[in-house]
Amino acid sequence: MEKIGVYVCHCGTNIAGMVDVQEVAEWAASRLKVRGVVIGREYKFMCSSLGQELIEKDIKELGLTRVVVAACSPHLHENTFRTACKRAGLNPYLCELVSIREQVSWVHTDKDVATAKAMAVVSGGVERVIHQVPLEPMKVSIHPDTLVVGGGIAGIQAALEIADAGYKVYLVEREPSIGGHMAQFDKTFPTLDCAACILTPKMVQAGTHPNIELLTWSEVEKVDGYVGNFTATIRKRARYVKTDLCTGCGICWEKCPKKVVDDVFEAGMGTRKAVYTPFAQAVPRYPVIDRPNCTYFLKGTCKACEKFCPTAAIDFTQEDELITVEVGNIILAIGYDTFDAHRIAQYGYGRLPNVITSIEFERLCNASGPTNGEILLKDGKTKPKAVGIVHCVGSRDKNYNEYCSAICCMQGLKFAHLVHERTGAEVYNFYIDMRTAFKGYEEFYQRVLEEGTHFIRGKVAEVNNAARNKDEEGKLIVQVEDTLVGVQMRIPLDMVILSVALEPRHDAKETAKRFGLSCSADGWFIEKHPKLDPVATMTEGIYIAGCVQGPKDIPATVVQGAAAAARALGKIHAKEIALEPFRASVTEAQCSGCRICNDLCPFNAILFHEDKMVSEINAALCQGCGTCVAACPAGAISGTGFSNEQVLAQIEGLLLLNVDKNAVPV
Amino acid sequence: MSETYTFTFMKEVSSLLHAADGNPFPMCVQCGTCSGTCPVAAYMDYTPRQIIAMVNAGLKEQVMESNTFWYCASCYHCTVRCPQNISITELMYALQRYSIWKNKHQEGLIGPAFAEAFAKTIVRTGRTFEPILAPSYIFSFKLREFFNEIQNATELMLKGRLPLLPPRIKRLENFKRMVRRIIPMGGVE
Amino acid sequence: MKEYAYFPGCSLEKLAVSYHTSTLETSKKLGVKLKELDDWNCCGSTAYFHIDELLAYTLTARNLAIAEKTGLDVVAPCSACFKNMFFTAVHMKKDPDLAEHINFALEEDDLNFSGNIRIRHVLEMFAQDIGAEEIKSKVTHPLEGIKVAPYYGCQILRPRKDHEETENPHYFEELLSAIGANPIEYSLKTRCCGGSLIISSRIAALSMVRNLLECAINQGADVIATACPMCQVNLECYQQSVNQEFGTQLSIPILYFTQLLGLALGVPKKKLGIGKELVSASPVLAAL
Repeated sequence: MEKIGVYVCHCGTNIAGMVDVQEVAEWAASRLKVRGVVIGREYKFMCSSLGQELIEKDIKELGLTRVVVAACSPHLHENTFRTACKRAGLNPYLCELVSIREQVSWVHTDKDVATAKAMAVVSGGVERVIHQVPLEPMKVSIHPDTLVVGGGIAGIQAALEIADAGYKVYLVEREPSIGGHMAQFDKTFPTLDCAACILTPKMVQAGTHPNIELLTWSEVEKVDGYVGNFTATIRKRARYVKTDLCTGCGICWEKCPKKVVDDVFEAGMGTRKAVYTPFAQAVPRYPVIDRPNCTYFLKGTCKACEKFCPTAAIDFTQEDELITVEVGNIILAIGYDTFDAHRIAQYGYGRLPNVITSIEFERLCNASGPTNGEILLKDGKTKPKAVGIVHCVGSRDKNYNEYCSAICCMQGLKFAHLVHERTGAEVYNFYIDMRTAFKGYEEFYQRVLEEGTHFIRGKVAEVNNAARNKDEEGKLIVQVEDTLVGVQMRIPLDMVILSVALEPRHDAKETAKRFGLSCSADGWFIEKHPKLDPVATMTEGIYIAGCVQGPKDIPATVVQGAAAAARALGKIHAKEIALEPFRASVTEAQCSGCRICNDLCPFNAILFHEDKMVSEINAALCQGCGTCVAACPAGAISGTGFSNEQVLAQIEGLLLLNVDKNAVPV
Repeated sequence: MSETYTFTFMKEVSSLLHAADGNPFPMCVQCGTCSGTCPVAAYMDYTPRQIIAMVNAGLKEQVMESNTFWYCASCYHCTVRCPQNISITELMYALQRYSIWKNKHQEGLIGPAFAEAFAKTIVRTGRTFEPILAPSYIFSFKLREFFNEIQNATELMLKGRLPLLPPRIKRLENFKRMVRRIIPMGGVE
Repeated sequence: MKEYAYFPGCSLEKLAVSYHTSTLETSKKLGVKLKELDDWNCCGSTAYFHIDELLAYTLTARNLAIAEKTGLDVVAPCSACFKNMFFTAVHMKKDPDLAEHINFALEEDDLNFSGNIRIRHVLEMFAQDIGAEEIKSKVTHPLEGIKVAPYYGCQILRPRKDHEETENPHYFEELLSAIGANPIEYSLKTRCCGGSLIISSRIAALSMVRNLLECAINQGADVIATACPMCQVNLECYQQSVNQEFGTQLSIPILYFTQLLGLALGVPKKKLGIGKELVSASPVLAAL
């Protein structure tokens, strides 16, 4: 028979205020003596060092083989008591913490009922702990290479930090060049640094770093494995350019006769050729051929690029290449897409000329953009004399996205400043609130106020062209209530810029599934804990950084990239990690090969052996959620730490089936 | 003199929404989309957004004294655009009902008298009859509009578009008993 | 042959009689049978909701129950009647207590509404249920490109909220194109005409009517097509008042879309009530 110690915590008055802890401890010592309880104690704060010492002392002096602590939720102190047991020489997994605070004291108002329930809960804990077996955490080795998915500023930052520390990074990017959305911007707030000027040095560093293998124009197709031991299959799409021969001289795209609207980098505002690099400072400098738009692939003629290439680097026979890499950690930094402004029909986007989105405006402002940095109307010639900037387009709106996109207020201020600087036009910012929280942000607001921007507090109701008088003819009319004076206004403008919401990538949910991660209902990837662990995920070894986790500005993105890198480096440095041993396992003899469990596993941890027709659970990927245990129709799956015997025993304990009804409290 | 907040008026008005959808009024973030959209806002003494703020703050007197809700055209444009899913039009209806119930509204408004005349005609005959409604508003018009209205009526009559005989439904007795099952005694009669 | 229960509504008897006759004529031409509800009552429009919400729903529920007795989906030409019926059905479905209370009252007329029929607006019936393609195939006298402003109005669309279509619908334009007309880009096509404000707040309604007329004329319309008797009356009968109030000189015929549809299907003008307008449509239709 086991020797069980029961410890009941007062938790100050949190438990003792509703539960008679003394009675519970005495009850356990007497009524559960037949079950092996040799001591029942109560103490004010079991989690304190003195409280823990009580347990440690009893283990050593009384030779306890099992410990039950009745206190708060295991989420908080299970680790504390397990470590205490370990210190005293008892296997930590022979310690059970049952909650009589969250589950008893905090949810009841009748003391007698609460005390009786606490006794039942303790009894359940005792029955269960009898069936616990000593377990050892699993040790898993960590491969020193890292996979970073997404070559925007978050991915670049993470890659550089890991590479600088001396470890290898695979940086995968689906576009032909790294740089992400930041490369599209003209200036960044609040410093008004030129985006390219601060980004390109990092891009170049990443492109030339000996420890970074750049895989652009590539995508991760499959991910297998578990923390420390991931295997990723990456498709390197055919560029139709031999990168060992290409010098990036640009003759091919100069000579290419096929112009295409560039709706990725130029956001539809400009064009590129069928063979192209997305922008002048592209890293790597090798172009790609846009096959669906290439005359050779469509009709079999042209081949101008091949004719003129001085190093014979064009290769129309090139094929996609699938490579497999082994990595220990993965960082996902796939960024965001913007809200489709067509959805708000009353703003006239796509219907009225000169209603543009924020990203389109960035391209207008950018010196290497379609208008060489001049802010011009659609006719390509006229400078606007009155510009409106609409905040919260598709954000903070239950009809579209409930969340706030975090950057649009600052972006709106930045735009106001740029319009003033380059056109001298009247500028109106239409806002609901001004969210300028971080370093230098409020000061930037002050600056833009000083420049004479008109701030109208009111969410724009509509943008139309139904002119009511001469002043409105030919203009875009913004209809809005100036809520600070309480009057409905109609403002004639030449250009309207919509600060559109940031949204997850359109294929975010598929990507999440591919990596075994979860997305929220909005589509942002879910972090392990929103406050205390924003870069980790529920899957060990996979981290997220940047806007993939939610809208944020560049400083926060860089910080998350660095944080994710630090987590990866921590694991790499430790060379191996210990995983909680609560794992499900399949009893092969009982498995019928029905495979129901295979697809149910949220962590892709179950494999099927075709030869033996049985499923097997990968202990390192398994997170012990219990889904497969419940789903198995043959009952062939059991969990260490939550086996069927243990759970059934706990239920019997809760029902007080094994209690000695004749024992009298000492 | 400064005032403080009371929330009883807001609750009173909310309970007048028997089957309305939408979020409760305190969800309003005062963005102004409703007022920016409202085609009648320029003629209201308080904009729809201001009315919501005043209802939430418990400024009952000021709300009931305004012409805003009696000028609502029920076009629902505010309701479909509200980013907080508040049924602003239904709020306006509720304030109109509250106003009729408490017999409290701005002086000189035609809306209340017109609505009551309209309702009475239906309860009496099961149908409306435009000519019978005329006295409820036509004498509030200025001279020019009065004559315009007479002219309109004449032209419509000449085109055969003016109803001359008040219609009534056949099963009027059943209809009246049906009405009484909703409004027991008194009511609009 | 498709059949519907038909709820004309009070104004279609006299004030908007051309809408009534043209609806019946055009549906007949397209092989759709409209069966008028037996002993229907006034739906309460917006005014009854200013008095008592429960009774307002009950008035409409009586008509719905009468329609349900026929087993047919019900169609209404007036946007206010349509909106009241649609939402009474929605609320009765969502709130069983409300349904119980209303059905308790309806018992007095041996009626009950269980929510088993669809409610459609006449414009939706033509443009969506029958469809532009089907209508186009039956057109014998296409309207030779006369420029029509498709005026939806408000309650035919709102407060239903399936966003893209609510703010910028296209089915009216499709219908007009199918009959050979040229639907213009009408920026204010979903803006309210003022409805009963023409009585209770005349100046506000007149300014709304003015904006609608001016915009249609500026955007090149020869005629405005409406789908609601209130809209037609407000836009047509008060053009003189608008001009007097604002010093404008606006004049444009306002026709029901069913009248235009009837012309395209070869129905004689008299049967469509053409000639009953206060602002004559003859100059525009003379070309046809």
